Amino acid sequence: MPSIRFIAANGSEEVIEASAGISLMENAVANGIEAIRAICGGNAYCGTCRVYVDPAWRAVTGKASELELPMIEASGDTDPSVRLACQIIVTAQLDGLIVRTPVSQE
Amino acid sequence: MDGNTAGCPVHQGRDDRKSAKVAEASLGVASATRVIKSFAAARDFLRSPKVRQAGATSGQVDLSKPDEISFFFLDGELHRKRRAAVAGLFAPKTIVTRHHQVMNRAIGEITADLQKRGSAPLDELSWQMAVDVAADIVGLTNSDSNVNLATRVRAVLDASITRRKGVLSKLVLGVKMLLAVNSFYKRDMVPAIAARKIQPKDDVLSHLVKENFSKRGMIMECLSYAGAGMMTTREFIVMCAWHMFENQALRERFLSGDDNDQFAILEEILRLEPVAALIQRRVAEPFEGANGASLQEGEVVSVSIREANIDEAITGPCPFELDPDRAKRMKVVGPFMSFGDGPHRCPGAQVAMHETRIFLDRLFRLPGIRLVSVPQVSWNPNINGYELRGAIVACDPA
Repeated sequence: MPSIRFIAANGSEEVIEASAGISLMENAVANGIEAIRAICGGNAYCGTCRVYVDPAWRAVTGKASELELPMIEASGDTDPSVRLACQIIVTAQLDGLIVRTPVSQE
Repeated sequence: MDGNTAGCPVHQGRDDRKSAKVAEASLGVASATRVIKSFAAARDFLRSPKVRQAGATSGQVDLSKPDEISFFFLDGELHRKRRAAVAGLFAPKTIVTRHHQVMNRAIGEITADLQKRGSAPLDELSWQMAVDVAADIVGLTNSDSNVNLATRVRAVLDASITRRKGVLSKLVLGVKMLLAVNSFYKRDMVPAIAARKIQPKDDVLSHLVKENFSKRGMIMECLSYAGAGMMTTREFIVMCAWHMFENQALRERFLSGDDNDQFAILEEILRLEPVAALIQRRVAEPFEGANGASLQEGEVVSVSIREANIDEAITGPCPFELDPDRAKRMKVVGPFMSFGDGPHRCPGAQVAMHETRIFLDRLFRLPGIRLVSVPQVSWNPNINGYELRGAIVACDPA
């Protein structure tokens, strides 16, 4: 199972053993990562599952897709590493992924 | 396709649903459609790019003129772009920083009026809230009054979704529809469009004006956003109020809880009492369902929101019980399937949750607030959803 590290805005860290084949958001919610709210359930319609992908992993996860951009823009988040966790599907290649979560998802 | 309604082994099947009986008695599924009942299968189906919108009057819509039809009937890239263009209006940040002002102003007027009158029909109050909020987001803010605006929107929607048999009946309905649309356009849209040509705002209509939508395109888009926001939130607010008027512990928890706990309560009520009961999609390419069922091209399939929301695979035990801690305990997203799923998921879902929370928080804090009479539950076959009428609330005078 891919291991993924979530680093909260206050610096606290949680490492989860993720399931491949489902989204990073679903893995986060299933493992109680409270900084991931995901109120639309994974449809890229709320922007409340934003994560900042560690620079070392951006090439693997890729940039935010067109589907993600409207809600990222609406959140006012201009960080170039931002992604919606619901649009990142966990694979074995993401073993060791590090993401940071924002202070607020609103 | 699959059943899942085993009785609760712990509480002998306590059922807190208020709309279940009417729904079971009234729910009409088109005879030839299969019904998806499990949550996982419903989600897979609704998220699949192989399915197309088949709800409302989609069978009668001319898809060759996408600029003249509502986003609701579109699919694929065109649908995504139309939704994306105004998505920011429904984002959590926008709701908190902008729409909360409208919501607080509306509920302030509603509660002040209620305190003057002493009592009022609850659905009249929830209707006013829903109309004020939807009108502001859509940009229908130059009408003679929001009450008249709401009446005209309702008239158009009723005429557009009503089915009639017989040439004469269809003709009468067609004339009614034409008159209703004309009245809505002249009295609500024309002044709003004129105002936005001079001074654009951040609302749906300003976007349509900027993008040079046709008259017909503007009408369709505005009616879709406004109508959905008004009609469904009206019922949801009354349903939540009814549950909490009758459950003192739940009401006290709501009033003492933080925003997240209040949302958890509302989402759990919505899970049990989804306003819309069915979603329909047409299969565009052969599709293998999550449970192995093969769906054929052209087949129309119904998704039962009510059944998906009580699927024990996702709710855990006692699915008919109102348990606000359920979603957190089960580590799932609160409203379950109540706002649909996939590309057509309700755009105003979060707006509805916020306005309901603000409405009820203020209502329940009124001195002497009480439910004088419970609502009658009826069924609106045109939208396959419940309606709650006749609830009266009263409070002490100001």
